[in-house]
Amino acid sequence: MITASKVGSILSFAIAFAGISPVFFWIEPFPRLIFVLGFLIGILQEKADRWRIKNLYFNLLLLPLFIWYLLQYSRNNPVQPVVSVLTIMLAARLCGEKNNRNLMQINLLALLCLASRSLFDLSPSFLFWLALLLLLIPVSLVVLTFYAQDNGIKFVRAELNRVILSAILITLVTIPGMVLLFPILPRTAIPMWTFLTPSSVNSTGLSDKVEPGTTSSSHTSSRLAFRAEVQKQEQPPYWRGTVFNRIENNNSWSRYVQTLPSETIVYSGNSMLQTIYPEPSSSRIIVAMDAAREISLPRIRTAPDLVYEYPRIPTKRMAYTARSFTDGVLSTRADIRSSFYLITPSNLSERTLQLAKYIQKNARTDRERLELTEQHFINGKYRYTTVGLPTGQDAIEQFLFESKQGHCEFFASSFAILLRAAGVPARLVGGYLGGEYNDIGGYYIVTEDKAHVWVEVYIKEKGWIRTDPSRFAINSEAVWNQQKKPDMILRFRLLIDSLDYHWNRTIVSYDFERQVEQIRFAGNKLQSLQGITKISWLVPLILLSATFAALTILNSRLHFLANSREKRLLRRFKKIIKKRFGETVEIDNKGFFEIASATGDPLVLEFCNIYAASFYKDRKLERYELERLEKLLGYISRGRK
Amino acid sequence: MSNTDTAKPVIRLFESLCKEHLHGKDNVVHLVLIALLSAGHILIEDLPGLGKTTIALAIARITGLSFGRIQCTSDLLPSDITGLSVFNRESGHFNFNPGPIFNNIVLLDEINRAMPRTQSAMLEAMEERRVTIEGITHQLPQPFMVFATQNPSDQSGTFLLPESQLDRFLICTDIGYPPEMLERNIISTGGIRERIEEISPLINISEIMQARLTVEKDVYLSDKVVGYIHKVVMATRKHPLIQIGLSTRAAINLAQAARAEAFLAGRDYVAPDDVKKIASAVCSHRLIARAGQSADRKGLLREIIDVIPLPLA
Repeated sequence: MITASKVGSILSFAIAFAGISPVFFWIEPFPRLIFVLGFLIGILQEKADRWRIKNLYFNLLLLPLFIWYLLQYSRNNPVQPVVSVLTIMLAARLCGEKNNRNLMQINLLALLCLASRSLFDLSPSFLFWLALLLLLIPVSLVVLTFYAQDNGIKFVRAELNRVILSAILITLVTIPGMVLLFPILPRTAIPMWTFLTPSSVNSTGLSDKVEPGTTSSSHTSSRLAFRAEVQKQEQPPYWRGTVFNRIENNNSWSRYVQTLPSETIVYSGNSMLQTIYPEPSSSRIIVAMDAAREISLPRIRTAPDLVYEYPRIPTKRMAYTARSFTDGVLSTRADIRSSFYLITPSNLSERTLQLAKYIQKNARTDRERLELTEQHFINGKYRYTTVGLPTGQDAIEQFLFESKQGHCEFFASSFAILLRAAGVPARLVGGYLGGEYNDIGGYYIVTEDKAHVWVEVYIKEKGWIRTDPSRFAINSEAVWNQQKKPDMILRFRLLIDSLDYHWNRTIVSYDFERQVEQIRFAGNKLQSLQGITKISWLVPLILLSATFAALTILNSRLHFLANSREKRLLRRFKKIIKKRFGETVEIDNKGFFEIASATGDPLVLEFCNIYAASFYKDRKLERYELERLEKLLGYISRGRK
Repeated sequence: MSNTDTAKPVIRLFESLCKEHLHGKDNVVHLVLIALLSAGHILIEDLPGLGKTTIALAIARITGLSFGRIQCTSDLLPSDITGLSVFNRESGHFNFNPGPIFNNIVLLDEINRAMPRTQSAMLEAMEERRVTIEGITHQLPQPFMVFATQNPSDQSGTFLLPESQLDRFLICTDIGYPPEMLERNIISTGGIRERIEEISPLINISEIMQARLTVEKDVYLSDKVVGYIHKVVMATRKHPLIQIGLSTRAAINLAQAARAEAFLAGRDYVAPDDVKKIASAVCSHRLIARAGQSADRKGLLREIIDVIPLPLA
């Protein structure tokens, strides 16, 4: 037996936990600490059943905190103060005395905390916590209703079970409604606030500048950049993002579009269709497999060097398909104005210039010069690394001739500079290389640490040829071509990722028009199938009867559950009478009092009296009556007087 | 006043009657009380000399109710029962002399010996609880219960009550011979006829009326039990050996009697057991068997009831 207030407060702890868990790692450390403290103090006080501190003091304590967070609130920081206040209020309510009103407040605060999660991030785990709260809160509400009627009310386990069952039923009944509402409900496609405060987003590899030599080591996060639905490639695919075509004296590459030479690409070779789901970021660059001929997005800007950009930063999660020609050669219809791609920094060192001269002299064509440069990199035994990088103005020179170690920016940058100095047009391409292929979902997972820079070299009558100087590093095999063994953790991670992927595809970037289109498409397909029309009347019939059967089963189950206690008692009673009095007492088609007088047992008579008095007066058995009946059955079966 | 408080005097009366005065007649006394509590009439169908009149007298004495006796004969006229107006020469008016029917308990002995005209007048009075003589309506006293007896053996010069008239009696029962030891005892000590005068009343009219009211209003009849009664009635109507099953009046009477039965058992609700227990006394005389079938209507009814499932859960 347990009191309603106890049930209510246990539920309130569970609800608070379920409400705060999704935001717990997003909120600031202080409210986090306060919440943990409040939760623990609440549990301790609940155990001791003593309330040392009055709620009034908590409210007074909250006031300055509230004002403090009010002052913190600004347009740049709109979420954290609100969530912090919510969390602290929840903590205060948890460790305060809990009357009906306070318990309701806990429910509400927990729900608000969960809702605020969507301001940070909208991931499938949100659904889990939402479902948990949707189950817990109706239970709590039902219990609180009892509590409001009679604050000393107690439950036995069966009653508690019934309360929980009815609350679950309430939730289940609402599910069809929720499903119906889903298509018309507005939703945010991207986490709004973290997106507006771009600190956490786009701390990434794909930048608008390539500046080797600015830091001695580079850190890139393994944050997801995009997913690309495409068949698995034999070689790690190159994902083309942007092109850097101008180099400054400080070895910084950037993109210059004002005098960009026009070029017309003649596409040939293998084409590959892919659907790309980028993660929200503040970048306008559209990434696709090198090199995309077309991208299925309206109003995008296309540059002649195949750089695609959104007109402005996208405000919602989106997806696009791209058709790419993956051979790594971009033939041009006519020769390009190559002088644009031959500009070198004026402060190139002697050694670099000498090397460039050597390359220019020892080969007759651009093609041979390219091969010679590649040969130099292969023979140079360069190492690929992201730490211990050369820095300073002469970083490129250090890389080329002394340290001989760097990351892709060093390789690509020095390679392009050498070629340009040797009179071969070259440019840097920024994008991503490789990515993890998820066999479960059939897509590449490309994270920000896969960001990469490579070189495109222009060979007359041939076109732009993709060459990746990082490949010539002596440890390139180890860096890019390592085959990860499919261990359990990786498989699990991929499974989770594919869940996340489908969540984004179907829930977050849900597009009503697209769904309608798909349904129409499916309908058209069905109509075109002649065979199906013959049995089409069977389908609704089967569906209807299945629904009916399910409802019938459900109904009978519910009926069983609702009356189970009485029915069970009666079944046990009959069994015991049969066992104890056997042949002498006939119980089929006999009334209670006939049975009782036939047995002559006062305990049987008492049982019959209690049972019949409730049953034939059309009322439910009271709790104490049920208990007494159970006891009587025990006595009767043991034959005790 | 709770049901048990109301029931107490009646139950005390029953016990005293059975233990001290009328040995071996528990069943009949029980049925008489049920008829009394549910405002019905009782017909006792048995051979002469088994104590029919004694029971009626004892009941009247112990309840303190007024008692009238009508010995039916073939030349009995309706006015012999109801009474008649006699011219008073002194006052110059007709004065109404009430007949024996103006009593609380009226014993109609050997009702089948009265001619149908008289039977009919009597039964009408039973139903209406009033008598109209020469345009003036006289209410019969409350409570009013007819205690009719009938000799079932075929005898010349008798008019057996037709089945339609039998329907007016709430209960029809027999008495049966007393068990051997009891009968020996009766033989040795003689009947109790003489000692009946010594019985003192244990209950008064207002208590009886209160008990009646309780039976009518405060004994709960659940829909489940109503359903059971209906099932019983329907089963008699469908039975192949029965020509005419139970009427709606029979069903109403069954419910009334079941209430009284529950009341006597000290309960404030009707259980199907009550219906089952009382059914044969209330219903069997109303069944009309098909021609050529055995006249054991009691056995037939028991068979029907035994296969009807009771509402238990």
